[in-house]
Amino acid sequence: MKEILEPVEQCVITVDPQVGSAHFSECGRFLLAGSFDGRVRRWDVSDPQTPRELEAFTQHQAWVSPVVTRDGVAFSADSWGGVAAWRYDADGPQTLWSVEEAHDGWCRQLAITKDCLATCGRDQRIGLWNPADGNSIGELQGHENDIYSLAFHPSDSNLLASGDAKGIVKIWDLAARRCLRDLDASLLFTLHRLQDVGGVKCLTFDATGERLAACGTKPKNGGTVQGEPTIMIFDVATGQLKQTLFVGPSKDCYVHEMHFHSDGYIMAVTCGAAGTGRLLFQKLDAEKPFYASKKLINCHSLSRSPDGSRLAVTTTNRNSNGNGRRLDDDGQYEGNTTPIHMLSMPQSE
Amino acid sequence: MNNLCTPIDHVLSRRQLLGAAGATAGTLGLGGLLHPAVAEQMKRTEKQVLFIWIDGGMSQLESWDPKPKTRFGGPFRTIPTSVTGVHVSELMPRTAKIMHHLAVIRSLHTQDNSHSRGVNRVQRGDPKERGVTYPLFGSAVAKLMGPCSSGLPPYVWVKPGSGGFIHADAGFLGPKYGALALGDGQPPENMLLPEGITPEADRQRNAMREFVNKRYAERRRPGVSDASSYVFDTARTLMSRSELFDPSTVTESERERYGDHELGRHMLVGRRMLEAGVRFVKVNSYGWDTHGDNFNGHASLMPRFDQAFSAVIEDLADRGMLDNVLVIAMSEFGRTPRINGHIGRDHWPEAWSLAMAGCGLHKGIVIGKTNEEGTFVDSEEYDMGHLFHTWFHALGIDPHKTEYVNNGQPLPIAHDDHSPIKEVLS
Repeated sequence: MKEILEPVEQCVITVDPQVGSAHFSECGRFLLAGSFDGRVRRWDVSDPQTPRELEAFTQHQAWVSPVVTRDGVAFSADSWGGVAAWRYDADGPQTLWSVEEAHDGWCRQLAITKDCLATCGRDQRIGLWNPADGNSIGELQGHENDIYSLAFHPSDSNLLASGDAKGIVKIWDLAARRCLRDLDASLLFTLHRLQDVGGVKCLTFDATGERLAACGTKPKNGGTVQGEPTIMIFDVATGQLKQTLFVGPSKDCYVHEMHFHSDGYIMAVTCGAAGTGRLLFQKLDAEKPFYASKKLINCHSLSRSPDGSRLAVTTTNRNSNGNGRRLDDDGQYEGNTTPIHMLSMPQSE
Repeated sequence: MNNLCTPIDHVLSRRQLLGAAGATAGTLGLGGLLHPAVAEQMKRTEKQVLFIWIDGGMSQLESWDPKPKTRFGGPFRTIPTSVTGVHVSELMPRTAKIMHHLAVIRSLHTQDNSHSRGVNRVQRGDPKERGVTYPLFGSAVAKLMGPCSSGLPPYVWVKPGSGGFIHADAGFLGPKYGALALGDGQPPENMLLPEGITPEADRQRNAMREFVNKRYAERRRPGVSDASSYVFDTARTLMSRSELFDPSTVTESERERYGDHELGRHMLVGRRMLEAGVRFVKVNSYGWDTHGDNFNGHASLMPRFDQAFSAVIEDLADRGMLDNVLVIAMSEFGRTPRINGHIGRDHWPEAWSLAMAGCGLHKGIVIGKTNEEGTFVDSEEYDMGHLFHTWFHALGIDPHKTEYVNNGQPLPIAHDDHSPIKEVLS
């Protein structure tokens, strides 16, 4: 493996109000972020030092969680079940189609191939849509819980993985509209008193499609929610659990997003109690990360640019928690913000 | 001077207690319905309380006071209720259907944002500091109203975890007004007579116990020995009511309606305690302190609360008991509008909500409001003193005419500077 140098911060984009995640477009020129106020914020990040904010997409009614892109089109979904497709590279975002009630309630995640947009949500359904026009092309049923995560196989677009709130992962055959197998990631779930805690926050295939990672926490308790940040790696062909990685202390809690790097390590972000969590890189055979940021806290998403040279990490401002009445200088009630850290990934030759 | 009741008014003799309990023993059939005559009396005259304590802090924004499409509103939708114009979070669809029974207050503004102080401060009514420890509401009702005619303990607490007699709730009233706690909804340990002990042997054993107690009491302060005897006697009233804890007397459909989870099971026990004639029943739910993952947390917490809460309201209404049972569902505070880095909400006593029903309160109303973003109260603020005044009024106790006396010191039963919330009283 080549020596990995520490990522270098290029700039920080501070977003108010908070956004749930931020991801590069497939061309790498734009950064798109779904916001708690229902907008999808856009930046032109072609100049690493000086991102330029563009007009936001404003057609959603509620929280926007996931945003994915393909062929110049962004697909976004909101917590009231709406899904929309729009051109993100235009000066002003242009809506191509929208489905107001694609799901009954919170649409949690999207995954895209050339021919299929997959959506999932609180209604325990996976919706399949024609990305060109938004027409429904089917649905998958079988989960008995809120579905949190989706991922298409990188080379076989007929295979879709989904993960739910109680740690059930399903591998689906889209052509047959049936579940091929269940993977047991229930380590990522516990019932604490009345609260379902944990779930599969993120699913990621490796580049070959042979391995599938299910990410979350090994939860200890509800309420504040603590647990060891956990990555479970399965063999896709057999469904066997190959490896379980615990990538931080219990205060760091959830692995929110993770990627396999071609050099044989994983890149992940974690987030736990306010002020905890980090960006980390860890070899698969190691017990500890070989890199862990100290500056980035409460990390909620991790996006790699298509050429792998840049990272975008959404975090939360320091001192984001607190029980007291905290007002700003004008006496107004303060919200929190999302600093998006834009990082370069220098590598030695 | 006033109509203050004294402790002696509510000390029932063991014979009275056992006699009353015996009169109703064996009369509960499937579903735990009270003997018709006793149930009828309960319906007509005896006021009771169901106090549902949601420990840790339910989010008002994910329940009674949603603020959709605002900065702090969170991801969930609102849904209409059975009361025109009133919306609640989509996480409580069953409760939405019984909103016409409820009185919701959205303008609570209380004084403490920590659990350790807040729980006691809230449940004691946050009176002015007078150098004494005030009783929790359950103990206050036990003192001021005493047991119902059933003779069952006046204050029963259905809670997760361990049970026992929780005398600390009573504060200066003295240990006998504490709570008889049913840990995990189960009867007190060793409540049932062992099979090998005949009624006659039991009688002889109790005669011996009373003899020893009497000797013990002669050398102790009266309060201590009274409390000891009282606790034992009230426990024995439950000993004769073992059917209250018999799982076979609960139908499967009841279990399903309340929910196969901790709160559902405990709420069903609570309803059965009310039917049997317990004056004050507290049902606790723990685990609501969602500093992390608040929205996923409430996505599973709220539906379970919704199921158990709506079921008990429906049942009390169907049985004609809601006219005399005061139902209160609340936490020690609400949760911050601000969403922290763990996607949680922290403690927020500045502007929060609670729900009430029954006992003559107006039905299907919402009192007070918060501002557009839900950050602060935008109408008259209500504190715990207002609530205690309101609750006592609903129970037929006038806080301006009733006082406690603690070692000769008169003490108001609710905050002297506060008054009842008139909009909610009929």
